[in-house]
Amino acid sequence: MEYTSKFTEKLSVEQMKIELLNTAYGNGDTFLAKLDPRTLFIWYLFFGIVPWFIHNQVVLFGMFVLMVVLTVLTKVSPLIVFILCLGLLGQGGYLLIASLFFGGDGTVILPLLLLTLKLSVISLASITVFCSMDPEKLSNGLLKIGVPGQVSFSIAYGYRMLPSLLEEYHHVFLSFRLRGKAPDRHGFLYWRSIVYFCKIAVLSFYPLLLSTAKRARTTVEALETKGSFYGFNHPKVKKIKLAHLRMGTRDYLFLAFSIIYIVSVFTLGNFTS
Amino acid sequence: MTAQIQLEGVTFQYPGTETAVLHDVSLTIEKGTFLAIMGSNGSGKSTLCKLLNGLIPHYYVGDFSGKVTVKGLDTRESKVAELSHNVGYVYQDFENQLVSPRVLEDASFAPLNFGYADFQSRGKRALDLVGLHGLDQEFIWQLSGGQKHLLALAGALSLDPDILIIDEPVAQLDPQHAEEIYSILRRLNEEFGKTIIVIEHHTEFIAEFCKEVILMDQGQVISKKPTKEALQHVEELIASQIYPPQVTQAAFQVGKGYAINLPVTLPEACGFFSNDSLRENRREIDIDFGVQPVDRLPLIEMEQVAFSYKTITRSKKRVLKEVDLTINRGDHIALVGNNGAGKSSLMRLITGLVKPETGKVIVDGINTRDVSPEHLADFITYVYQNPEQMFIEDSVRKDVGFFLKARKVTDYQKKVDQILEQFDLTDLQDRDSRLMSGGQQRRASLAIGVAMDPKVILLDEPTANLDIATRKHITKLIAQLKRQVGAVVIATHDMQLVAEWANRIIVLHEGEIIHDGDRKSVFGNTALLERAGLKAPQIFQLSQALHIKPYTYSVAEFVAAWREKVETDGIYE
Repeated sequence: MEYTSKFTEKLSVEQMKIELLNTAYGNGDTFLAKLDPRTLFIWYLFFGIVPWFIHNQVVLFGMFVLMVVLTVLTKVSPLIVFILCLGLLGQGGYLLIASLFFGGDGTVILPLLLLTLKLSVISLASITVFCSMDPEKLSNGLLKIGVPGQVSFSIAYGYRMLPSLLEEYHHVFLSFRLRGKAPDRHGFLYWRSIVYFCKIAVLSFYPLLLSTAKRARTTVEALETKGSFYGFNHPKVKKIKLAHLRMGTRDYLFLAFSIIYIVSVFTLGNFTS
Repeated sequence: MTAQIQLEGVTFQYPGTETAVLHDVSLTIEKGTFLAIMGSNGSGKSTLCKLLNGLIPHYYVGDFSGKVTVKGLDTRESKVAELSHNVGYVYQDFENQLVSPRVLEDASFAPLNFGYADFQSRGKRALDLVGLHGLDQEFIWQLSGGQKHLLALAGALSLDPDILIIDEPVAQLDPQHAEEIYSILRRLNEEFGKTIIVIEHHTEFIAEFCKEVILMDQGQVISKKPTKEALQHVEELIASQIYPPQVTQAAFQVGKGYAINLPVTLPEACGFFSNDSLRENRREIDIDFGVQPVDRLPLIEMEQVAFSYKTITRSKKRVLKEVDLTINRGDHIALVGNNGAGKSSLMRLITGLVKPETGKVIVDGINTRDVSPEHLADFITYVYQNPEQMFIEDSVRKDVGFFLKARKVTDYQKKVDQILEQFDLTDLQDRDSRLMSGGQQRRASLAIGVAMDPKVILLDEPTANLDIATRKHITKLIAQLKRQVGAVVIATHDMQLVAEWANRIIVLHEGEIIHDGDRKSVFGNTALLERAGLKAPQIFQLSQALHIKPYTYSVAEFVAAWREKVETDGIYE
């Protein structure tokens, strides 16, 4: 009981808001966060795609080790890592059970582990990259590689709005709790309470949508007066906005290191097989 | 003085509405003025202001006729972008106006988008102007309400406009921060020569800070006069539901008939009321404004309660430190203290929505840690500061009945009828609460609270953001609650409400209760007021300055005390 209550405390809306913001904005001082967004794009282009086509265990394991080290270095939120692990184990476990059920045997375990390893490499690469770029940086990076201003701005602004949205949602959710009636008994495996919470979690979205629509009006007006639409249409603005983006020694060193590491892992992989 | 803004025969009607919001408005506003726009909700104040930065007619395409000229630019022919360089606008819901995650980024957002290479130093300069120092890299979510407001102001100043419009600058601020923001506006006006236009309901601030006043009613500008002159006509103002400063009202009532020049500020009032012969003959009169004794039946007990919340950096921020508090039956508590003192946290702890970090909260004999907020809802009601957050159904009637329906109360419809009647909502019962006016929303939120038939009702800032007439109405409704409910707790910045309503005042400061007393002990204690960022009602300050003892807390009390004093002294009248 004590554990469940501790766990639910961790899962409160408040906590989720904090984790979300932390993931988005909180890691500004790690090594990866100081890199130019373009470096991270290039890096991710490789580690997000290539692992799909690699079947060599040694190479995959080598990549995995690199990812784990980088994940630790980027100080990824423990909650995110936890959710990732849960997802990977769930996926692997369910495939294993399904294969055993349909007449598979122990031999499926190895390929399954390989698949899980692949997925882990890709997932960890995504997490490290996106945790290292706050939405502003991501947005600027996208702008730099030619994505239209409206799109890149929307990403940054969407993140900016998230905490307010979550807060608003939280308030509405609590309104339901403050006036509603929770089931008297929890029921078998808490099912009554679970149904109750799921129900208000869904119902809370409707008032949220309506009140958000109202708030958005002020924002759009403010954006208009602050010239954001002027900015989209003037290349000069884009230049000023992106003036601070520069590929530095750090970027080249990081890319060089990654290349050397990958080459050595591949060599090792070929050698052992 | 040169004309800076000129409206000629402006009529405007929003698309999809029946009537025009502005009818044939002609107006000239001079450069360098500090102008207040008064008028009840829906009189067209905000619409008038949106004409000036070109949002009307460029953004709102309604029926527009007439001509608006701002610094020689015809708003119909100039772009919003161009007009934004001349007019800065701070919204009433200023939080939605902040568009970047960090402070400096937000302040320099406009200069950046208009392509100034020195956008950062422009942003910094604007932050300096409003006195927001050392927060450049702070996340806007971490700012207090007052700081957010200053940031919105900085954002509006970043393009260095000559004209600044602020919609209800002090609606959500404690008295001290309210003074502060007006002092900043005054500095911008006097030192930097900016034209300041505020939409304001608080005539006491208008009297102290503004040079001119525009009175609006039903889409028309009724008058534009120098402040002092505008606030003289007490009867006319009250007829348009505007309440002049307390000292003016008092002077009007006392000196009915022969006073020509009514005072509008405290120093003026001191001059007006002082009378040397009176002072010499003065005798102490003890009029008892006291409160009824109460039986001390504890309803809520807090023992050594501490509470913190986590910030984005995962560090904890203490909002309440070891608070001990007992709320008894018959208590009408005003919970006061500046923004961020811990008022809302204290109330949320009582509802059981959040649990204390250490210590315990006992509600009706139950530790809040052991039960869900749903369970405590039978005993306690919490009415949010923002009524919209309480609307979970699509009509007023359903919202009011939600609690009763969930608890399967038999015949609950009858009770709903009765409550709708009490809060004057019968005609509005089928409307969506979110689409009603501010005052109506507030009434609905109170009705929802009362329908829960609680022993204790907690109200968070029930009179904020309302025009004065609506505020009076709400205050009256709150006064009725005394009879219906065991105990009422109100967190508020509204010192008039505190002085006229509460029989117990709890002063919170940085998470601690620094005083638990009544209006006499609170308002009489200058050091305490100073420390907690509070300000006594103007009429109380006047009675203090005039040594009318015991001090008076409302205009009516003051007038009564003054008359009695005059009669006793045998002069005057």
